[in-house]
Amino acid sequence: MPGSQPEEFSVSAEILALEGDLEYGEYLASECTTCHQADGSANGIPSITGWETEPFVTALHAYKTKHRDNEVMQIIANRMSDEEIAALAAYFKTLEN
Amino acid sequence: MTINRRHFLGSSAAAAAGLAAPMVKADGHGKPRVVVVGGGAGGATAARYIAKDSKSAIDVTLIEPSRMYYTCFFSNLYLGGFKEIEDIGHSYGTLASGGVNVVHDWAIGVDRDAKTVSLAGGATIAYDKLILSPGIDFVEGAVEGWDVSSQNAMPHAYKAGSQSELLKAQLMAMPEGGTFAMVAPPNPYRCPPGPYERVSMVAHFLKNNNPTAKIIVADPKPKFSKMALFQEGWADNYEGMVDWIGSDFGGDSVSVDPNEMTVTIDGEVTNVDVCNVIPAMKAGRIAELAGVTDGSWAPVNAIDMSTKADPDVYVLGDSSQQGDMPKSGFSANSQAKVCANAVRGALTGSKVYPAKFSNTCWSLIDTDNGVKVGATYEATDEKIAKVDGFISATGESAELRKATYEESEGWYAGITADMFG
Ligand SMILES: Cc1cc2nc3c(=O)[nH]c(=O)nc-3n(C[C@H](O)[C@H](O)[C@H](O)COP(=O)(O)OP(=O)(O)OC[C@H]3O[C@@H](n4cnc5c(N)ncnc54)[C@H](O)[C@@H]3O)c2cc1C
Repeated sequence: MPGSQPEEFSVSAEILALEGDLEYGEYLASECTTCHQADGSANGIPSITGWETEPFVTALHAYKTKHRDNEVMQIIANRMSDEEIAALAAYFKTLEN
Repeated sequence: MTINRRHFLGSSAAAAAGLAAPMVKADGHGKPRVVVVGGGAGGATAARYIAKDSKSAIDVTLIEPSRMYYTCFFSNLYLGGFKEIEDIGHSYGTLASGGVNVVHDWAIGVDRDAKTVSLAGGATIAYDKLILSPGIDFVEGAVEGWDVSSQNAMPHAYKAGSQSELLKAQLMAMPEGGTFAMVAPPNPYRCPPGPYERVSMVAHFLKNNNPTAKIIVADPKPKFSKMALFQEGWADNYEGMVDWIGSDFGGDSVSVDPNEMTVTIDGEVTNVDVCNVIPAMKAGRIAELAGVTDGSWAPVNAIDMSTKADPDVYVLGDSSQQGDMPKSGFSANSQAKVCANAVRGALTGSKVYPAKFSNTCWSLIDTDNGVKVGATYEATDEKIAKVDGFISATGESAELRKATYEESEGWYAGITADMFG
């Protein structure tokens, strides 16, 4: 589960309140499923399906701002806009674990 | 309003306003037809995504001769003893149940005027959009003394499966203190770190089973991918075992004799026990037959992977000449998803989103000692251009290297599920 970013890291209420575009989220998610399995299984790379919005959005922003380690995730998140992160959160929330 | 490509392809308002929507439909009735040639990292992904996302609005046919696809990725780990051959074999059953018409045959010709593909078995299949992802073939005469008829004596093991099993059998049968030679390929070729991960895995096997054996690498290049990481790894884990001879030291002047089992490097003849020849590469032959190559590779437009030669023919993965992405399974899979989105949009009017690409290549140096290199990319008018990247550092902690290896295991499970369902 999420939470390995530093305790003090958080994102603004406006960012958390952004409504994600599901269809765009589904397209963007195809970049994630090269590594994170769409059916929620995890071995070596964590599952990202079925997360609540807040931890999902917070984790991606933590990678984007390098508050959380992992170079692959940092460069992937680095070029995501706030709207794209919201779209991904909306989409992955709909997938079952 | 400015009409960019995304709006143009995606908006029904544009179509209603009487603009010619670039929709391609088969003559007469019926669903639009996509034919995909090659069921590897690029082709399997493209076929799966188009079938899945179009929800049967598009007929998808995948042409692939093999019933089992052995991934080149992790085939070096099989040589090193970290994987079994079964671990890297994948069948097409789930793709077929997912709505892809899987035809096990060779494509032997493409008629771009009639928009048909002919198969070795005699059938002809019509397409509205054709996606070619046939991987690589070898350049004839690239290594003096070697041709495909010598691949049993001197395997390439650069298309995985029986060649990987053969190379492993030869490695296991090496006499005590014997010599393993590799002839490395010139740029560009599939999987830039692949030959050097292989050297590491062969060294790992030999360290445990034949510790006085030696590895010589003749390389036509002066430097290679993740060079500092591999050289550090070889010195730390396999001291004195690996002799890498780059082009500055004659590694670019090589010939082999498969009958005598000799390798001649810069005029010096060496008897070897195993010789892994990885020749120069070019696009899979069918891309050439389709007339979409220019030189060794098929130039494509970064925005959707369509070829410069024909807007209805797309080339993915190793065969494509796209710009900055390395020829890897990760890249082919990434390109396939951009292409699938664009092809579906062109055929059904679904939304086409901007292209985004990424790649990471993990390599294993020794047990729990993984390294990685990766980047993100975008489509420009000229090419797929690198945006941002990283590479593992020398001197990293054992803990981080172990985590990197575990991540590669997760990636393998992820990408194979993404390709085959
Ligand atoms: C030793 C090694 C290690 C590697 N390690 C990694 C790694 O760790 N990570 C990574 O991302 N990449 C790795 N790669 C690279 C990766 O395997 C390739 O880049 C990737 O497979 C390219 O995908 P593709 O779709 O272009 O071709 P392929 O995956 O090779 O698929 C091509 C398919 O097309 C079929 N085909 C060819 N011609 C025809 C025809 N005429 N008709 C019908 N079908 C045809 C073939 O049978 C084949 O199944 C490695 C490669 C090697 C050799």
